[in-house]
Amino acid sequence: MRTRLHVGDDTPHGAEVEAHVETLAAATGLDRSETYRLRLAAEEIVTNVALHGYHSGRGVVDLESGTEDGLVWLRIEDDAPRFDPRSHPGARSRPDPASATRPGGFGLFLAMTCVDDFHYEYHGGRNRCTLRLRPGGRS
Amino acid sequence: MSLDVRTTVADGVATLVLVGTVDSASARTLDERIVAATDQPVSRLVLVLDELTFLSSAGLRSLLYAHQRLGRGVHIELVNARPEVAETIRMTGFDQSVTLLDGPRDPRA
Repeated sequence: MRTRLHVGDDTPHGAEVEAHVETLAAATGLDRSETYRLRLAAEEIVTNVALHGYHSGRGVVDLESGTEDGLVWLRIEDDAPRFDPRSHPGARSRPDPASATRPGGFGLFLAMTCVDDFHYEYHGGRNRCTLRLRPGGRS
Repeated sequence: MSLDVRTTVADGVATLVLVGTVDSASARTLDERIVAATDQPVSRLVLVLDELTFLSSAGLRSLLYAHQRLGRGVHIELVNARPEVAETIRMTGFDQSVTLLDGPRDPRA
């Protein structure tokens, strides 16, 4: 399944991210909590790309998803400058609330925390983040 | 779904009922409504979350802004958050700064 998002400061993307994840969840049997976590992780990555990758200008973000080896995956690709979200200081440890009011403070941390595996690569001149969930993995 | 906010202010308590989603597109609305509701002195800010279906980091930042701006003299209570929303708040540790409440409750009590 594929969805192309056209992001920008005046172009909300939340509903399209939600629709993609809900369709994926229905097809793969993700439960309510898993669906929410995958949606939240995807929303945070797409928002980060829109705000910081494209600097609130117009840009394209592609969503693609499927299943493999018992895992549900969602891939997010963009054409912004190369950026590995895992390299952000707040990505792996919970940001201090005093600094978390800055954009990106909580978002990347939530994205990393909500999924069972987060992979990044720079592929074909694009940033590619792949989020993976194992259904039932946290129940 | 976007965000609808119903506000009442009485007896030093500002109560905001949030309906919909708080994400990067709607967080500014929440900021503005909280600022408007706490324009006059209040001792408590109560957010009723039964019908809040999604809260992203942008919404959490709105709550943090409110917490920092209002200071320790104003208690922030989050009432009836759905499990997924409550879990998001706990993941970030913000539950240490506010009070999460469950169950029917008169916010003016």
